[in-house]
Amino acid sequence: MMKVEHLRFTYGKGTVNECKVLDDISFEIREGEFIGLIGSSGSGKTTLIKHLNGLLKAESGTVWFQGQNIYDKKYVLSNLRKEVGLVFQYPEHQLFGRTVLSDTCFGPLNLGMTKEEAEESAKDCLELVGIDEAYYYASPFDLSGGQKRCVAIAGVLAMKPKILVMDEPAAGLDPETKHMVFDLVEKIRRERNIAIVLVSHHMEDVANYADKVLVLHEGRLALSGTPREIFSQTHFLREIGIGVPQITTATERLIQAGIGLGHPAVTIDEAEDIILQAFSIRRGGSV
Amino acid sequence: MIRDITIGQYYARGSVVHGLDPRTKLMGVLIYIIVLFLVKNPWWYLACLAVILVLYHAARVPLPYLLKGLRGIVILLMFTFFFRLISTPGVEVAHFWIFTITKEGVVKAVSLTSRIALMITGASLLSYTSTPRELADGLEKAFSFLEKIHVPVHDMAVIVMIAFRFIPIMIEEMNALMDAQAARGVEFEKCSVFKKCKNVFSLLVPLFLSTVRRASDLAMAMEARGYTGDRQTSRMYPLIYKSNDRIAYAMMGIWLTAGIGIRVFL
Repeated sequence: MMKVEHLRFTYGKGTVNECKVLDDISFEIREGEFIGLIGSSGSGKTTLIKHLNGLLKAESGTVWFQGQNIYDKKYVLSNLRKEVGLVFQYPEHQLFGRTVLSDTCFGPLNLGMTKEEAEESAKDCLELVGIDEAYYYASPFDLSGGQKRCVAIAGVLAMKPKILVMDEPAAGLDPETKHMVFDLVEKIRRERNIAIVLVSHHMEDVANYADKVLVLHEGRLALSGTPREIFSQTHFLREIGIGVPQITTATERLIQAGIGLGHPAVTIDEAEDIILQAFSIRRGGSV
Repeated sequence: MIRDITIGQYYARGSVVHGLDPRTKLMGVLIYIIVLFLVKNPWWYLACLAVILVLYHAARVPLPYLLKGLRGIVILLMFTFFFRLISTPGVEVAHFWIFTITKEGVVKAVSLTSRIALMITGASLLSYTSTPRELADGLEKAFSFLEKIHVPVHDMAVIVMIAFRFIPIMIEEMNALMDAQAARGVEFEKCSVFKKCKNVFSLLVPLFLSTVRRASDLAMAMEARGYTGDRQTSRMYPLIYKSNDRIAYAMMGIWLTAGIGIRVFL
């Protein structure tokens, strides 16, 4: 659906503080796919996602969306903004509407939906993120932090994007709310079949949900593949300062200690399975 | 565009002028302006211009910057020149329609316009060579004698400093908000003025909120660290006069004496 080819970007081109941020990045986003984008701070993750809906224009390289080049002079960027929803870090800071509903309608209205369509879409999305109808006419500033974030996400979802890009959607949330946000993301993907790009520092989250993982390091695409392929490269990931899920480290140690698990696990469920399996084999052998 | 806001016009260079104590520079500008008002004969403004050029050279600020400072007041200068030219009584040199130009008018117009222009270029040099923080520090120290008559100079300086400190943070926040709202389909450039005003609301409301929140957080943090404002605080960059400052003060003294001398004897 979207194809990024040889993207390069430099901040402050031609000034003293010129800084190369992205260097030759290519990847593809397919319909309904869940992509995890990981990388240490300053590796260019946020810069990269700003290219996906045309907020930044690449120095060279192209972005193709549904077969069209978004840098083409005739291409209308507002179409792209509609199709690629971007949820920035701490999205609750961008709320400004008088009521929850009017804030959620803001995006759809800007993109040319009628008032009725926008409201319908907003109500659907608020319901999806679990905001009760009783809050529709409350001020968004009276809600709790987690609720505010859900409203902000609904505000982007209401534009009915085909790709939803989220930059650290769980940063600064307590574990329970965080879980809720991730379950929500997964639910959105299942119900609407939209592609998700999740930017995160948390390997656990990425390992649990993503189908495909992209690893950025110093502006380059260092690795890409399934979570299992990526997280088996523990050595490399630690070297570039990202690390692997805790459970991967734990199962790796078990293997080193001589417990025959076969391979390190990527998610907790998987670890449970292989550990149980290993023990049942051993028990079977000893009897 | 709103994104390219610059406050203060510090031109980072490591020159003699940049290295001077901010108090010296403030005093220098003050004396320079006093002298500008002391001298009567417009020819002496050429001497002032020479001084300014030498100072810009010493500060290693490129000359186009000298004109940049004047760009903002170009209309004011034109008005001053024009009205002085036509509204001073005296010996007539030219006359057309309802305007009469006199000899005195020409002299007055030229001298007043160049006085304002020189004043601005001098003051811009101050802002090119000192950061807002340095200026606030310098002003605080220079007016600290007012503490004796219970003027809260230190408190005011802290307020000014904090205000300066918040500007870059707010600009950064503004950029983040513009990106976020643009992602929600807001157009900031290609739309009507009415729409633009409406769209600016989507930036101002969150920006205002976060500023208030940040201010209250900061107040809390300062209080938590025991800041009350009534005790003498130590400085990160103490202001100490160096030999260059003494030389600068000596030069200012000579310049001021020359100005007074010209006024009294010529």
